Amino acid sequence: MIVRMSWKNVWRSKRRSAIVVAAIALGLWGGIFSAGIMEGMAEQMVNSAIERELTHVQIHREGFRDERSELMTIDDAPEVADYARRLPGVSAVTSRSIVDGLVSSPTTSQGARIEGIVPVDEQAATALKKEVVQGAYLDTAQVNGIIIGRKLAEKLAVKVRSKIVLTFQGPDGTLIYGAFRIAGLFETPSSMYDESTVYVNQRDLFGLLGRPMIHEIGIRLSSETLVSSTQGKIHARFPALEVMNWQELAPELKVTAESTAIFMNIFLGIILVALLFGITNTMLMSVLDRVREFGMLMAVGMKRRQVFVMVMVETIFLSLTGGVAGMLLGGGTIALLQKTGIDLSMFSAGLAYYGMSSYLVPTIPASTYPLLALMIVATAVLAAIYPAIKVIQLHPATAIRTYL
Amino acid sequence: MSLIRLTGITKTYNEATIPVRALDGIDLSIDKLEFTAIVGPSGSGKTTLLNIIGGLDQPTSGSIVIEGVDISGMSDSRLVDFRLRHIGFVFQAFNLIPVLTAKENVEFIMLLQNVDKAGRDRRSVELLEAVGLKDRLGSRPSELSGGQQQRVAVARALASHPSFVLADEPTANLDSQSAFSLLELMERLNRTYGMTFVFATHDARVIQRAHRVITIEDGRIKSDRSNTPG
Repeated sequence: MIVRMSWKNVWRSKRRSAIVVAAIALGLWGGIFSAGIMEGMAEQMVNSAIERELTHVQIHREGFRDERSELMTIDDAPEVADYARRLPGVSAVTSRSIVDGLVSSPTTSQGARIEGIVPVDEQAATALKKEVVQGAYLDTAQVNGIIIGRKLAEKLAVKVRSKIVLTFQGPDGTLIYGAFRIAGLFETPSSMYDESTVYVNQRDLFGLLGRPMIHEIGIRLSSETLVSSTQGKIHARFPALEVMNWQELAPELKVTAESTAIFMNIFLGIILVALLFGITNTMLMSVLDRVREFGMLMAVGMKRRQVFVMVMVETIFLSLTGGVAGMLLGGGTIALLQKTGIDLSMFSAGLAYYGMSSYLVPTIPASTYPLLALMIVATAVLAAIYPAIKVIQLHPATAIRTYL
Repeated sequence: MSLIRLTGITKTYNEATIPVRALDGIDLSIDKLEFTAIVGPSGSGKTTLLNIIGGLDQPTSGSIVIEGVDISGMSDSRLVDFRLRHIGFVFQAFNLIPVLTAKENVEFIMLLQNVDKAGRDRRSVELLEAVGLKDRLGSRPSELSGGQQQRVAVARALASHPSFVLADEPTANLDSQSAFSLLELMERLNRTYGMTFVFATHDARVIQRAHRVITIEDGRIKSDRSNTPG
């Protein structure tokens, strides 16, 4: 009955309760919407990096990532790739031959990372093919074809079908030159990446290097949840190799994802703290209107502890009503925008610098809602403390004769 | 043994600054089945006395024993429990819980006493029937007249099986007809349920019907006389 009484008490002053419920609902709506955008941006940044090149798990020879020496190849690369392909949840495996070199056009030169790929494998593992915006993707049939970023093409003042020369150091230390014809230009959400990476057929690169040299195997999984188990299995099978997941490969992305989650909670926390004062004010008005009633309750035998709990429960009801409304509004807005997306093309240049697409899909992890509900209850409990203390400090004999 | 025994009760407010002595050596004994009115002008100390008898306030000195239990100096939490189990209250402004129905208002006290649902149902219906409101069980206080609300308050006061009922100016907010029928009701409850009633009142109608009238003035008992209800 006390719980039912608390619920009814919330609606004694309908207008007053409705105002605070609306304030909570709108505050949370705004909070959830903003958090959804932040989380959506972070998720997009991570996904775009995984899709672009990172994949979920990468295998290298120990030390390759630090020394970047083309001599540090994965010796039994075909066997490793085959093993990875057979693991459950592995959707694609791509082997890359990587050398750092110089890309030269008739007018200028630019340092770049040259990746020798098997076009079909790379296409399955990353979004490279989809990101070709001009010309065509690499074709195994075309000898010495190359695809480069559109940004790099602009810098080199070349276009599709132009000829460019790649210069890099061979395994024996000699300089190797290779002439390539541009098959296509790609454009990823990251302009920095587009300026510094070129792709050629692995077979052509092996030809110039004089032998097959695989430096990197990228593994794409059907689900993010399989990352650590896949990583563990490969490491167990090939302990000499360095097997890393995307979070280890790009710690800055992991930090981005994690810090976004923290910022999101802080942001929602700030909103709730602001709401806390509104809730306290409303509850204070509500209890001060009912001094005589509280006096009667304590006079007839309701313990101060029970009165305290009643005020708490009322505040929790009031806050949760607004909270649930806010979560429904916020969740609904996010769900709607997940279908339509948000067009941020007017900021595309700036977003591209951070590796983000101009089409944003806001997202909120499902786990946020129960956490938010808990935060609302915690806010309500905090907000109720002052009014509840005011009530239990009342002297029943005096309170009962209070006429407002 | 008296139901209520007050010995040498004094009550002084603002002891530290300008002391005001509200009660000055009250010795009083009230027995079971009494229908007693405490009367006196405003500021005479009758409300203070009622608060002390009701365990809502503590005397500065002296002792108050109810059913053999000395409640002077009892801790606040024990007093709350004592009030819940031994004293029924009827207030001047009815003080029902506006969001609860008449039946729920009566049940509420029993809920605090942890009476089970069936017990609460049975007793609340029985009491509301006794006060003539059987057909208003589901009415909210705002749907009842002043007289009906005070009847619900009387039923609530009896719900906890108290040793006595303290009524503070119970007719002050009622018209003559309602006041009359409320007094009749309380007299009937006094007779049939054997319930002791102690009133603080200015109301001549109440005083007239009381069996005993205790007059307080300047914190002292000025007179204590038996009355033949008229």
